[in-house]
Amino acid sequence: MQISPKTIVFILLVQWLTLSVNEHVCAEDASAEFFEKKIRPALVQHCIRCHGPKKVQGGLRLDSREAWQAGGDSGAVIVPGDSQSLLLKAIGYEDISLEMPPRGKLPKETIEAFQAWVRAGAFDPRGSDDPATPANAGAPTIADGKQFWAFQPIRKPNAPETDEIAWPKNEMDRFVLQKLEASGIEPAADASRESLLRRLTYDLTGLPPTPSQIEQYLSDKSDKATEKLIDRLLQSDHFGERWGRHWLDVVRFAESSGGGRTLLFPDAWRYRDYVINAFNQDLPFDQFLKEQIAGDLLPANDRLDRERKVVATGFLMLGPTNYEMQDKDILEMDVVDEQLDTMGKAMLGMTIGCARCHDHKFDPIPTRDYYALAGIFKSTHSLNHSNVSAWNTVDLPFSPAEEAVFLAAAEKLEVAEAQLAAATKVWKKATGKSAKSTKSVDPVTLSGVVVDSVDAEVIGNWKDSTAVAKYVGANYIHDEQMDKGAKSVVYQTELPESGRYEVFASYSSGANRAKNVPYRIKHRQGEAVVEINQRKAPSVDGLMESLGVFEFDKKGGSSVELFTTGTDDGVVIADAIIWTRVADPAAKEIARQQGGIEDATAEAKAEALKMKVAAAKTEVDRLTKEVKAIKKSTPKRQVAMAARDVKSPADIHVAIRGMTHQKGDLVPRGVLQVAAWDGMPRVGSDSSGRLELAEWIANEKNPLTARVIANRVWYWTMGRGIVASVDNFGTTGDRPTHPALLDHLASSLIQNGWSIKKLVREIVSSRAYQLSTRQADDDQALDPDNRLYWRRDRKRLLAEDIRDSILMAAGNLDLAVGGPTIKNGTSSEYGYQFQGRRRSVYVPVFRNRLPEIFEVFDFADPNIQGGLRTASNVASQALLMMNQPFVMEQAADAAQRLEKEHPGEKDAMLRRAYAEVLGREPREQERQVMMDLLVTNEQPGGTSEWALVYQLLFQCIDFRYLD
Amino acid sequence: MRLNRRNLLKSSACGFGYLAAASMMQRHAKAEGGNPLAAKSTHFPARAKRVIFVFMQGGPSHVDTFDYKPLLEKHDGEERTFDDARVLAKTKTITKHRVFKSPWKFKQYGECGQYVSELFPNIAQHVDDLCFLKGMHTDGVAHGPATLFLHTGSINFVRPSVGAWVQYGLGSESENLPGFVTLQPSMGNGGPRNFGNAFLPAVYQGTAVGRAGVSAKDAKIRNLSNPMLNSNEQMSQFEALQKINAIQKNSHPGDTEMDAMINSYELAWRMQHSVPDILDLSSESQHVQNMYGIGEKETDDFGRQCLMARRLSEAGVRYIQVNYGDNTNNPRWDQHSNLEKHADHAVKVDKPIAGLLADLKQRGLLEDTLVWWGGEFGRTPYAQANGTGRDHNPYGFTSFVAGGGVKAGFSYGETDEFGHHAIQDKIHMHDWHATLLHLLGLDHEKLTFNYSGRDFRLTDVHGEVIKEIFA
Repeated sequence: MQISPKTIVFILLVQWLTLSVNEHVCAEDASAEFFEKKIRPALVQHCIRCHGPKKVQGGLRLDSREAWQAGGDSGAVIVPGDSQSLLLKAIGYEDISLEMPPRGKLPKETIEAFQAWVRAGAFDPRGSDDPATPANAGAPTIADGKQFWAFQPIRKPNAPETDEIAWPKNEMDRFVLQKLEASGIEPAADASRESLLRRLTYDLTGLPPTPSQIEQYLSDKSDKATEKLIDRLLQSDHFGERWGRHWLDVVRFAESSGGGRTLLFPDAWRYRDYVINAFNQDLPFDQFLKEQIAGDLLPANDRLDRERKVVATGFLMLGPTNYEMQDKDILEMDVVDEQLDTMGKAMLGMTIGCARCHDHKFDPIPTRDYYALAGIFKSTHSLNHSNVSAWNTVDLPFSPAEEAVFLAAAEKLEVAEAQLAAATKVWKKATGKSAKSTKSVDPVTLSGVVVDSVDAEVIGNWKDSTAVAKYVGANYIHDEQMDKGAKSVVYQTELPESGRYEVFASYSSGANRAKNVPYRIKHRQGEAVVEINQRKAPSVDGLMESLGVFEFDKKGGSSVELFTTGTDDGVVIADAIIWTRVADPAAKEIARQQGGIEDATAEAKAEALKMKVAAAKTEVDRLTKEVKAIKKSTPKRQVAMAARDVKSPADIHVAIRGMTHQKGDLVPRGVLQVAAWDGMPRVGSDSSGRLELAEWIANEKNPLTARVIANRVWYWTMGRGIVASVDNFGTTGDRPTHPALLDHLASSLIQNGWSIKKLVREIVSSRAYQLSTRQADDDQALDPDNRLYWRRDRKRLLAEDIRDSILMAAGNLDLAVGGPTIKNGTSSEYGYQFQGRRRSVYVPVFRNRLPEIFEVFDFADPNIQGGLRTASNVASQALLMMNQPFVMEQAADAAQRLEKEHPGEKDAMLRRAYAEVLGREPREQERQVMMDLLVTNEQPGGTSEWALVYQLLFQCIDFRYLD
Repeated sequence: MRLNRRNLLKSSACGFGYLAAASMMQRHAKAEGGNPLAAKSTHFPARAKRVIFVFMQGGPSHVDTFDYKPLLEKHDGEERTFDDARVLAKTKTITKHRVFKSPWKFKQYGECGQYVSELFPNIAQHVDDLCFLKGMHTDGVAHGPATLFLHTGSINFVRPSVGAWVQYGLGSESENLPGFVTLQPSMGNGGPRNFGNAFLPAVYQGTAVGRAGVSAKDAKIRNLSNPMLNSNEQMSQFEALQKINAIQKNSHPGDTEMDAMINSYELAWRMQHSVPDILDLSSESQHVQNMYGIGEKETDDFGRQCLMARRLSEAGVRYIQVNYGDNTNNPRWDQHSNLEKHADHAVKVDKPIAGLLADLKQRGLLEDTLVWWGGEFGRTPYAQANGTGRDHNPYGFTSFVAGGGVKAGFSYGETDEFGHHAIQDKIHMHDWHATLLHLLGLDHEKLTFNYSGRDFRLTDVHGEVIKEIFA
């Protein structure tokens, strides 16, 4: 037999293996001893509390061999034999983002022990008594999830039969009555007509009924009186103001960014007006949702339609964002998270945000779904970066006429500005002045051909800056250290003559600059690439650095290109490129001689120069004025806070444990699987996917959308949702008390073309809505919380209602509609004085500063998405009603108006005041108390006794509650 | 299927929803009908009953005050590599910076031998009562984020402030006063969010007395006095209101909300009469006023705040924040250039704080009052942009605490040899929050509030109680 080399290798290998096995057996005792002495105690003392059965931080357990072999969120932590194992890096404090244990470095000996242990193979005798539960244990699967009521398709239920036939006024009532009959509960009587009028007027318009409206309604004894009233209220422009405000709660509307360095949103009002108009015009709700997610991507009928749809995407921009955050990658993901979270709760009743760091523990939303959705918003341009970043804005289209004026003016401006620049150049040259700033160098003062960044072709987003000296001209630009490779600047020029030139690049140096900025010089012989270290101060006058001497042709143009590929270590600065003629000795001599001639005629020239300076100055002044005038007369382009798609939409990676810089799998963009259906369109590679997302949300097949809004409408009218947790339809939310009724409402909404007004009409026309709030003892015992709607829940006036009603009683409420409402010249919300008298929906909503009356009466916190208003009863409310100047001034005005417009008997006057504020007649007992108050304080000089009465009415129970 | 509480609830007839609703109703009813501020029992015995937090807004430099680093002097002026937090966040690069020695001399004080710089000669006299936390570190490089993190445990999300959590956990000791008061808070860097209740019931939010930029002499709780009505008019109106409300309530039998509303007016009426007395410092002896530096130009304003804090703590307020700050984006201690200005601020707070410590001690209040001094972060041991100031440093800084259950004359944790990073016995702000709650008898993992479908805590999923500092 011939022995092949392969066989030899095999034999040797077997021998070696046998050997090493033996060695291993011998070594095991030593390894075990080392582990028990050095490693186990250290693990127990320093690691296992967080990486053990109790906490499993970072998805990692270190309490058994199997556990650490399974690794953590960042993958393998111990690779036996590998001194680069993650565990060793972490305990060595090599990476600031991963230092373990977090509260302090281990003693040197312990670290060395771990190093030795890993190098020797990480022997670990510990088995797992408690099998490591995967981090996702307990998270429901998609298939399980679909069984949950909220993810079941919506089916229109038949209205149930009821014993009582006369009670139900419409189909909806039968769902309510059936449950009452089944529980043996007798519904309360109908509300009084006074109560119903006040209830309806506030619920539909947010205003009290006026005394004349009260009189009119109470005197109309026809069957149709209430129907007519409802029609009138639904058609009132105040309906949109009231209902639009409900939606503004849901979408955390605000006019500033809040947080630390809060910034004003001067254009947020456009979105507010968009919402109010949508409710007034009864824009189909599915369309309303689509426009807010992807209005910019939808077709538009005309300019105004386009404008409306662009403004609608303001929904995505309005979050409480900390624009000051320095790590812009994290900032971007935080904005995406906020958008997803708000969209999820507002439109789907889902707490999607929970899945950012781990699979949703209670709802069937895996982390992958989160990043599928996040990819859509990451592909949406929402932010413009700077030290303090900002939201995106989109120019609103002009009308054709405005556009023509604008273009003409822009053209004129361009000409005038060019003339001004030229004239300034002439003037400065004549006076020999250089730019005043020591930071900036006037290009005129440089010898050679200068192409500044403003005259170069700039590719990609570059940011203007003047922060660091020195630079040529008005500023320099930098690449914000983003999109490396995609940004470049091309400097082109026609040189005056062919020949040898030294090329210089100017830049402002600094410690955060890139060290190898490449410049590509195109010259007669071809191309050269020269790299400059922009951290080093430039050697020529601290301004510029030579790129070398090259030959150039006069014809065909010469160019230098600065690009950013491979400059990851810092910011790239682009300023000016200067071509300086390298003269041969003969040319130098000629120049010297010419200099001599000039000396001789210097005096004559001085006089001429003086004239030239004066003439140049006159021209500069004239053109400066002209530029100003043109600017003033040019129509200003209006902008909206709005989204657009990024240039290259892309899928994104899962961020492990929500840490932006720890990348997991790449996930295709898409929607929540649990609420998806077959045949849904896929997200293409050339768009963000917002359109597909919008189509999925605003779809009658989506099991959540119609239910969530139908439930909100119920809450806004009835005072409590069928699902009490209106923003949470997940398993941690409440279950519907009347699931069939909810599906009835959702499917009639869809059937009626997603008309909100029709849904509102159905609910407020029902018997259930129109019941009295009076409590009957028997029913109280059976259903104390009124879960079955056997009576009407007493609702509280909202903060806006309180303010508007007080102003209205005083005759001071300004009912103007829409438009910008932040006072001109406001630069910060801090110290803002809320003095206007317009309806509350038009009072600016700042995140750190609200009118006090909003703050204490539980106005929606614009920092948090929340469709539920809380209702507190706290002393600060009482103090405000007792002592705040606003309340007392309005009470005084109301008193004055009463005395002027309705002078007469005290009784009649009191009845008038009651009608204005409480919408009813005073009770006899009340009348006596009030008369006493009037008499006690009836003295000249002091506060009007009627002002005391009005203020008291603003303070009393029946004002604050809707019967 | 494992039978646990969650599954049980899912499968039972009423389900989780009903229980959640029921418990919500209960809480609701309690909040409305009962007194949500009534004192509540703690999770374990409390070491402190109340907190006075002395907030130094802007970030006082630890290496110029309490964290003595001789190496700074030795290497002064040398260029060295530091992973500056701001540069790192912005550019993900590490650069060189010029080591910058402290312009102030350090000396050892007390039996414990704690080093204190000449900035705080008065506080230095109390080192044997103080517990220094020199390994503090936090999140947020800029003021807004770090200030919010200090107060709410979150940079970007809206979360209840520490004081709101404490009030939620403990209730108030006083019938006539709110349980959480913040004196002259800044309207900047998060403003009211720093004493807000976020999703906790409104009753737990902090009550502001005055605001930054207004003299402490004029600091008031808003709407506490009536600018227009005389006392007879007020009295007759209030009496009539009580009668009218009683009549209206009777027409709605069984509705406890009405009682809550009536109670709120009664509390307001009592507050009108008791609060001005508490905030009125004129009844304090001259000797006491002098201790706080009241009447001296530099210290009058902050001295008044500190004395008000003592009076509020005596009256039963649980959580009192004393603010040395302003409303700007670069608050007081924020010396990016001209570090020397630290001395101006030190002069204004040194004596009042020393006075507060001495006064609490002499009245026996220090035993169950936890005093906490600190800023939102520290400052770098190197010069910013090679200038004359220091930039923000969230990696390592010093706070001190005193009284209620912490070791006296003690120092815990340390930063590296230059004072840049905390390296040993580090305390993250989350850890401190956990520790503070623990001292008050609250378990930071059990003090939760259910909102938006899950339980929230002050410390999110973080925080470790630092028992090593317990007395």
